[in-house]
Amino acid sequence: MIPRPWLQNARVAYSAFVMTLRMNAPDAFVLFTILVQPLLIAVMAMWMLVERGAANALYVVIGSGMTGLWSTLLFMGGNSINWERWTGTLELMVGQPTPVSVIIFGKNVAVVFQSLLSMVGSYAVAAVLFHQSLVIEQPLLFGVSLVLTTVAFVSFGLVIAPIFLLSPAVQHFQNAMEFPIYMLCGFLFPIALLPGWTTPFSYLLAPYWAARALHGTSSGGASFPELLYAWGMMLLLSAIYLAVSGRLTVLMLNRARADASLRLE
Amino acid sequence: MRRLWLDVRLFFDGARLSYIALFRWLQPHTYLASKIVMPLAQILFFTLMGIFASGQANAAFFAVGNAIHLASVNGIYGVTMSIGGDRWSGSLPYIFGTPANRLVLFSGRAFFHVLDGMLGVFVGLAWGVLLFHLDLSHTDLAALGLAVLITTFSTSGLGLLLGCISLVSIETMFINNTAYFLLLVFSGANIPLAQMPAWMQTVAWGLPLTRGIAASRQLIAGARLSEVLPLLGGEILLGILYVLIGFSLFRWFEFQAKRRGTLEAF
Repeated sequence: MIPRPWLQNARVAYSAFVMTLRMNAPDAFVLFTILVQPLLIAVMAMWMLVERGAANALYVVIGSGMTGLWSTLLFMGGNSINWERWTGTLELMVGQPTPVSVIIFGKNVAVVFQSLLSMVGSYAVAAVLFHQSLVIEQPLLFGVSLVLTTVAFVSFGLVIAPIFLLSPAVQHFQNAMEFPIYMLCGFLFPIALLPGWTTPFSYLLAPYWAARALHGTSSGGASFPELLYAWGMMLLLSAIYLAVSGRLTVLMLNRARADASLRLE
Repeated sequence: MRRLWLDVRLFFDGARLSYIALFRWLQPHTYLASKIVMPLAQILFFTLMGIFASGQANAAFFAVGNAIHLASVNGIYGVTMSIGGDRWSGSLPYIFGTPANRLVLFSGRAFFHVLDGMLGVFVGLAWGVLLFHLDLSHTDLAALGLAVLITTFSTSGLGLLLGCISLVSIETMFINNTAYFLLLVFSGANIPLAQMPAWMQTVAWGLPLTRGIAASRQLIAGARLSEVLPLLGGEILLGILYVLIGFSLFRWFEFQAKRRGTLEAF
């Protein structure tokens, strides 16, 4: 028997999920981050990498799809709390009995779920425009990796949303945070091209392990122990992100209540 | 003579005030992020991807292409927001109510963005020198400066045209973002033009930046100004064409908005 508060929270999270999907569907900015930008990156990467034999088409499909996942998470997930503040609904959210983090969780799941369309779009670009034959070598393991990727991205989004609210100075750099994560996570080229001192930062990012798992299972190039390691790191980092985000959300709400800035414009 | 003086004043005052208005809400942090950090990140990403594809020897191709492409940060986003900002801030009806020279008023919105855009490109080239050892020892720097000025001007011409669309559309950022990335694909910043299909090359030569990037690459490789003049001449003409089309649209939208009473409609 599932405890009643869990059921209530699940219902609220599901409502936030559905509402976010509906609100994002007609949003042109979401359309850009999920489809237009990843597709144009895919077109460039197909010419730059595949035509010159540096990578196969599936590598580009996965990599450019992941750029869409990150960009959407950065802008939509990152602003998921701020958006409530701008529209004046954060006060109501804080005042009702369900924890705010449950609602933000539902919203972030919707954002990540929607942004998986980036991979579908990139797949279509490679197949239709570039006439590439795309076969995932380990479909079952790829499916598991995709589920864990979703978990990892949702957890990561739960950390950045309260940070953007706690520190507007960090949010000013939001536009500049897209490409660094593309690079640090090795979406479209190996992190070995980066200076060695950046490698520990990559290891701390769950999307890096997600990229390793997805690239590895799509090409069949990763051994099962390597894959288990990447999955384990995704789960471990997701757990850490969830713990940190819980603390940050409480800190953020306490500060906003103390400063009377829940509805700050 | 007095008329000319008024137009000159209107041009510079309008240019200065629209720029100040834009950066009143864009905090210094945002300016720093969009002019220093974002260019660095873009140049790093595409140049490293280029190195992964074709080796370290070709780093300059991608570093220069992306540095010159940064002209569109100001040319597209800055100019469009300066034009569209009048609508969002509610000052458009007052502007359309004045007898001010529309061409002067319209083109003045791009003035500071051309200068600021040049600064952005130079910052991008400096990143190229620092990070990828871009060799400028054979470069006629004055000619390169001229090429950057012309390229930034032509990109701002496209920005003026897109800015007019922002007067009648609420999807300004979608249009700007799409234009920015389309320029990244079509301008030859990352993909050599010869590698593109014929229809894409036709589109590329009809866009700003393409000739500017090609000319800048040649200048950095040691070409003289006289050798790239045809490219730069074409870039200037293209910029003027975009300004004129944008201005025609601006006048048409003014006429339509006044006739339909939609100056402040969203």
